[in-house]
Amino acid sequence: MAVKKLSKDKVGEALKELMKFRLVAPAKSDDVVIFKQISDPAEAYLDYGNSAVPPKKMVFPQTETLFRFVTGEPELKEKNVEEEGQTVIFGMRPCDARAMSIVDKLFDWDFDDPYYQKRRAMTTYVGMACTEPPSVNCFCTSVGGSPFSTEGLDVMLTDMGDYYAVQALNEKGEKLTETIASQLEDGGDEKKIEEMAAAAAGKIKRSIKTDGISEKIPTLWDSDVWKKVSASCLGCGTCTFLCPTCHCFDIQDEVEEMGEGRRCRMWDSCMFSEYTLHASGHNPRPSRKERTRNRVSHKYSYFPSKFDDIACVGCGRCINMCPVNIDILDILEQVVEA
Amino acid sequence: MVDITKLRDIAKEVISRDDVRQVIGYRPGTYGFRARPAFVLEPADADELIFSPACINNLATYIVIEEKLPVPRGQEPDSRKVAVMVKGCDSRAIIQQLEEKAYDRDHVLVLGIPCEGVVDMDKVNARFPNVDKGDIALEGDKFVISFNGTKEEVAKDELLADKCKRCRYPTPLVSDEMLGDEVERFADDDFSDVEVLEKKSRDEKWAYWEEKFSRCARCYACRNACPMCYCEDCVLTRLEPMWMRRSVDISENTAYHIARAYHLAGRCIQCGACEQACPMDIPLMDLNRKFYKDVRELFDYEPGTDAEQPPLLSTFSVDDREDFIL
Repeated sequence: MAVKKLSKDKVGEALKELMKFRLVAPAKSDDVVIFKQISDPAEAYLDYGNSAVPPKKMVFPQTETLFRFVTGEPELKEKNVEEEGQTVIFGMRPCDARAMSIVDKLFDWDFDDPYYQKRRAMTTYVGMACTEPPSVNCFCTSVGGSPFSTEGLDVMLTDMGDYYAVQALNEKGEKLTETIASQLEDGGDEKKIEEMAAAAAGKIKRSIKTDGISEKIPTLWDSDVWKKVSASCLGCGTCTFLCPTCHCFDIQDEVEEMGEGRRCRMWDSCMFSEYTLHASGHNPRPSRKERTRNRVSHKYSYFPSKFDDIACVGCGRCINMCPVNIDILDILEQVVEA
Repeated sequence: MVDITKLRDIAKEVISRDDVRQVIGYRPGTYGFRARPAFVLEPADADELIFSPACINNLATYIVIEEKLPVPRGQEPDSRKVAVMVKGCDSRAIIQQLEEKAYDRDHVLVLGIPCEGVVDMDKVNARFPNVDKGDIALEGDKFVISFNGTKEEVAKDELLADKCKRCRYPTPLVSDEMLGDEVERFADDDFSDVEVLEKKSRDEKWAYWEEKFSRCARCYACRNACPMCYCEDCVLTRLEPMWMRRSVDISENTAYHIARAYHLAGRCIQCGACEQACPMDIPLMDLNRKFYKDVRELFDYEPGTDAEQPPLLSTFSVDDREDFIL
């Protein structure tokens, strides 16, 4: 499909038209950028770097009800995901979109996760190419992505100054652009986009050679490297909860008043001590060393050995947000050298 | 000013002692202007130690978060000391930990760093975005920021961390060895920031906190970075009984932060590690400072200033004020 133009003064109107769906866009909460459902185009904050929490949470919420129950009664009231309606995530970064195609593989693997899959099918991803790397710790180009990658996206927007170039990338994307057709003009410059893409990739400052890492990591099980790289770890969940590909969850029952309750699932983090705690009290990952080893191994070894993809898209959040500057690239460098 | 050569020499000397297991200090970070914790296990490791206004972390936390793993049969637990570098504010964490008998005084070797203030990294990054490698030094009343061959001077006040703007204890209150000359007090705390919040109406307060707590990701970085949060079994993440749900919503998030603030009443030493660690920019010190102010006014008590004084919550005096009891 030809590249269209969305003039910046028509973005508000386009967003209004998209509000017939559940429209999710980057917005500001004080100075923090978060993805949330918006009800006014003015809430959308499109001139942003990247959000603190990835938009993954719109498809895989941090806490979600699976079903409701009344204690002692056999009937369960299952959550109807369809009620949430068609969703459009507007303006997500290419790394976060790539992350969704990685997370898809997990929820589409040995068990078809109905909650995730239904929501995923009802969601259209509209990307925003990174003409400038959002952070100094971006390294998407080392792990199979790029600032203009369209993987996982349905529509791509590129900021061309006074307009956004709009590219529908598949049928879902075309359907969406039809919704806002009256705001679009012809004449997007595809060649210019290609030039910008090459320039943007050249601006990425950090990198890592991933060749052979996936095979090497399991050979380092008893290596001292893990103790060294985890020494400063505080054991918090920042790196995992802000990661666009992390997908671990826990399931718990929450009983409310009068025996009513819900079974819900919520994000869990392998960096937490309770994550692997057995009912017996035994913990097979008793310290931050084993937990750090697991986080890195899962992303760079276990996941690729099962699904062929490194479960990291190089968004840099875990580096940027770690309170004590634990740096996955620094860890990987030490792994390569170990 | 701390002489880096002297700091490294002392660290080498300390780690060479038979009764010291490790020295915890700072080393350059991996990107931008950051510095990060360093764990010196042998003399050669000390060569990368630094101290600069980028050394924002409170290293006293590491004394208490180390896992107590079972010792293999026939082996003795490693009882050698942990040496740790502390700024004035950080030293108060050690005093409070000692007050609470978290460990014996013999367990730690305190290397005091008289400190003229550290930066607020968010302010630095906002001012100098996307710098891959740079340095920060304090020269008089200016921070000197150098990167990519350029040098810029910024007035100290513009990048200084808020906690430093009201620091009353720049020189560590406890130390076995001081790594620099005493720094004279350069700031004071009038708690005017707390008064601003106190004056808000109940609805205004809720509007303020609702926005903040709503975005909490419950990553527990605030708790884990806190040198006073060292319970082996934390009430906030206990699974059985589950006092606090793992659900992430405004109700549980609010409960989480209020419970944490209460558990720090009379214990928080104002190092700001929680707020610094928060990836969602939640102004946690607003809560902690309200409690701090109340405790100071009600009981004339300041945590982390005297290792000999008993913890506030374990004391009772018939003269204690009770006009706040409903």
